[in-house]
Amino acid sequence: MTRRIPPGLIWVAPALFVLAALSIYPLLYLIKVSLTDSHGITLANYARLFQDRLFSVAAGQTLLYAAFALAFEFFLGLGLALLIDSLVHGRALIRVGLLAPMLLPPVVAAVIWRLIYNPEFGVLNGMLRQLGINTANLTWTSGRSSAMLSVILVDVWEWTPFLFLLLTAGLQAIPAEPLEAARVDGAGYWQTLRDVILPLLKPVILLALLLRSMDLLRIFDQIFLLTQGGPGSATETVSLYIYRTAFRFSNFGYAAAMSFVGLVITMLAARGLMRLMRV
Amino acid sequence: MTRTSTHSLTVAAPGILWSRDRQGSGWANNRMKTLAKYAAALAALAFALAPIYWLITISIKREIDQFASPPLWFSFTPTLVHYTAIFTHEAFGRYFLNSIVVSTCSTLIALTLGLPAAYGLARFPWPHDWSRSISFWILSNRMLPPIVTIIPLFLMLRQVHLLNSLVGLILVDVALNLPFVVWMMRGFVEELPREIEEAAMLDGESRVGVLLRFVLPLVRPGLAATAVFCLIVAWNEFLFALILSQTESAMTLPVGIAAHVTQYEIQWGAMSAAGVVAMLPVLIFAAAAQRYFVRGLSLGALKG
Amino acid sequence: MRFLLLCLAALLASCSHPGSEKVLTIAVNAGVEGSALKAAAHEWGELRTTRIEVVELPYANLFEKESLDLQSRSGAYDVIMMDDPWFPKLVADGGLTPLAHEPDADFLASTLAVCSNAGKYYALPYVGNSQLFFYRKDLFDKYNLGAPDRWEKILNDAKTIGAGEKMFGYVMRAAPGNSAVTDFMPLLWAFGGDIFDAQGRPNLASPEAIEALRFMVELGKYSPPGYAGFNAAEVSAQLLQGTAVMSINWPAWIAAMDDPSKSKVTGKIEFAPMPAARLPGVAELGAWLLAIPAGSAHRDAASDFIAWATEPAQMTQAAVRGNPPTRRSVFQSPDLVKKFRAFPAQLAALEAARPRPRTTQWNEIENAFGVSLSQANSGAATPEAAMQQANREIAAILARSK
Repeated sequence: MTRRIPPGLIWVAPALFVLAALSIYPLLYLIKVSLTDSHGITLANYARLFQDRLFSVAAGQTLLYAAFALAFEFFLGLGLALLIDSLVHGRALIRVGLLAPMLLPPVVAAVIWRLIYNPEFGVLNGMLRQLGINTANLTWTSGRSSAMLSVILVDVWEWTPFLFLLLTAGLQAIPAEPLEAARVDGAGYWQTLRDVILPLLKPVILLALLLRSMDLLRIFDQIFLLTQGGPGSATETVSLYIYRTAFRFSNFGYAAAMSFVGLVITMLAARGLMRLMRV
Repeated sequence: MTRTSTHSLTVAAPGILWSRDRQGSGWANNRMKTLAKYAAALAALAFALAPIYWLITISIKREIDQFASPPLWFSFTPTLVHYTAIFTHEAFGRYFLNSIVVSTCSTLIALTLGLPAAYGLARFPWPHDWSRSISFWILSNRMLPPIVTIIPLFLMLRQVHLLNSLVGLILVDVALNLPFVVWMMRGFVEELPREIEEAAMLDGESRVGVLLRFVLPLVRPGLAATAVFCLIVAWNEFLFALILSQTESAMTLPVGIAAHVTQYEIQWGAMSAAGVVAMLPVLIFAAAAQRYFVRGLSLGALKG
Repeated sequence: MRFLLLCLAALLASCSHPGSEKVLTIAVNAGVEGSALKAAAHEWGELRTTRIEVVELPYANLFEKESLDLQSRSGAYDVIMMDDPWFPKLVADGGLTPLAHEPDADFLASTLAVCSNAGKYYALPYVGNSQLFFYRKDLFDKYNLGAPDRWEKILNDAKTIGAGEKMFGYVMRAAPGNSAVTDFMPLLWAFGGDIFDAQGRPNLASPEAIEALRFMVELGKYSPPGYAGFNAAEVSAQLLQGTAVMSINWPAWIAAMDDPSKSKVTGKIEFAPMPAARLPGVAELGAWLLAIPAGSAHRDAASDFIAWATEPAQMTQAAVRGNPPTRRSVFQSPDLVKKFRAFPAQLAALEAARPRPRTTQWNEIENAFGVSLSQANSGAATPEAAMQQANREIAAILARSK
């Protein structure tokens, strides 16, 4: 049996090469850096990771952020997709409008919400005050307990359109036959939704969840500009902590170790989700 | 309502799902229900667009009005001073140009590398499950948080004198977008019936010719959708642009905008003006390509 | 296809090889200090027919970029502007070029002290920033309160005026990091505490330090809600909009206070020295220095520039543009004193100003300390617990560097 080079390889080769150069090599370099510090090859960086209280806080908060944001975005996105699809007029226009937040550079979105959230001069509290609500304790991103929720809200505002888009596409691609069959059988709205539409949407749903969760676990831009991880460390995330360790404290070894561990966890999670997609 | 048939896939005409055109079905055409639906849709629209409207008003308000309490939604004297400021006092035109160059070039290169790769994965025989594994590996690259590769990339680019250059940033953005391109286009290519290509090859067409002359036109919607996504990702990309640029000649719009958040004075006016200008090309482009989004995604998403 | 070629052309144009023409790249802070230097740089560029490229970056990002550039010797910048606490870190490992000539004695001693390392000078002070206490003199007069010279009195005054005028009696910034630490240091010093003791060990768990933090949290009750996340801009906005009575602030904001297009309280704000508590009030030094990275390819031109920019005549020009000077002669120039009513107060404050601890680990320490301060102010931790935590973390940071 002769080993033949797969004929498709030459087509894939250039892409693989670019990715290898810009992903694999940096990854190997990262591992090397994580194993060194000022004294030579050592596992000290990884040892420190296990004792680092702030890292576990950041990791926990990142997961919390991702879970909540994903849940809100998914259900809102699904609801909107179903709602808009059922309208007769103006669908296209409404869709374009709903997509807008996703198109903003996250940097701009973050800054605009910073201004909105300002407890004294921001338009949010301003409006609430006009409605007679006492805003003395509504400090949004500066409040110990409200900071995380405030930051999640920004993400929901910005990225629900993404899920809305994917799910709308999924809905549009649903073939007519099963729906006809359901109608003929006299199935009601919710029943059709549960038994016909959602199962057919499953691949899209899983794809959407996969893509979005990958981005959520490495969230950086918004939090960087909204709270810098504060107040205290209420909105600290792994990416933010790594960034600060590397670029403000010049502690590349430790930052590399954290990055590697974070990467491994993300890949395991993604693998799990992808396996679900095969089913 | 007509049924549109694309290759072997029957796409439901929008509306069949909810039986808009049926009368007295009981679960659709209720006047109150329709009103409620539109109200809900408009509420969602308001939530989505109000902050953007606020951004625009900040960009045309005088500084003293920006922080006014209670907030001024409509009653303020507009001024264009912030827009003139960013174009005359800041290197904003430069950032804009840089963003355009980086986004378009990286998207074009990503598509040029990605489409053949997708075709190779979809159309050729592979031993065992290699096709799937390679696809998974390619997609897994998208999971790499930028923070992971940023330090090695910084040092690598410095070695080849591509630090603080648009070329370096383009390369990095290509790596960022390539996984998505391959993933999406593989789905689209697999959609197409093989018969057309096989017939062409029997007629003596080379594989490359098949790709260019037969496959490419058919996957155009998907390609357009993918291209628009790549453009937006590259246009909005922040972390790499932030770290890999050192002087204004290599900075992009997001970096320029973030630079307005200063220690002593958050220049809301200038920054919002910059934000508005940064947002406009993307919005216009997306509106124009809107119909490709949905159609293209619906073809590719199912097979993802 | 044509578009592709256009892109290619634009690309090639943009990566023209540096070093072929005379360009001086200057990294400045995005803000008032930066704008004065920018203007000066362009003037110098015209004098010497050299192209100037100014890179303006926000505070934290400026440090990151400069630090990266110096460590990797990438030579991206020829002149850098730095906040004085960054100096120990940036000068380490030969990152900066030593000055060609010793600075003259017209420079204020307190500002020169932070420019030297092991007896040699590596930077020139450009912005003479030291904290001042901003307060609404008109309201203080209305309630017949004397000048705010003691912290305990300030707390009472904040209560009185705040209640009477329905304003916030005090405003401060406690966002984690630079904001919280910068605003806390004067309080810490006035109450007799400090970050390190005489032996260089972390001393934040001392009773004086805890008392200072307790006082800060108490003051926070009269500050706008959310101050635990405030930065400099929010603090100044409160003053400018007339919703807060007083705060610690920097001279860079003086111009804005009297600018009708930005301020609702023109002419009403007075600038006083730092209040006392157990010890006399001490302003924190926040000087901005100019230095030349060792990796720069244009060191001679850079040297020429920073010498020129810090000449008395140029510094006077910068002062007119809103930049607080670092030369005594400039502070005492009659024309300028007439123009800037706060100059005498600024000079006094600057001469007595104290710098933050000089350590290469300052950024990490400031970060850890800032987080604890912010937690105490947002109620997530008691002052004692916050200080103990800060102490522990600073000790760990120091231990790691050994």
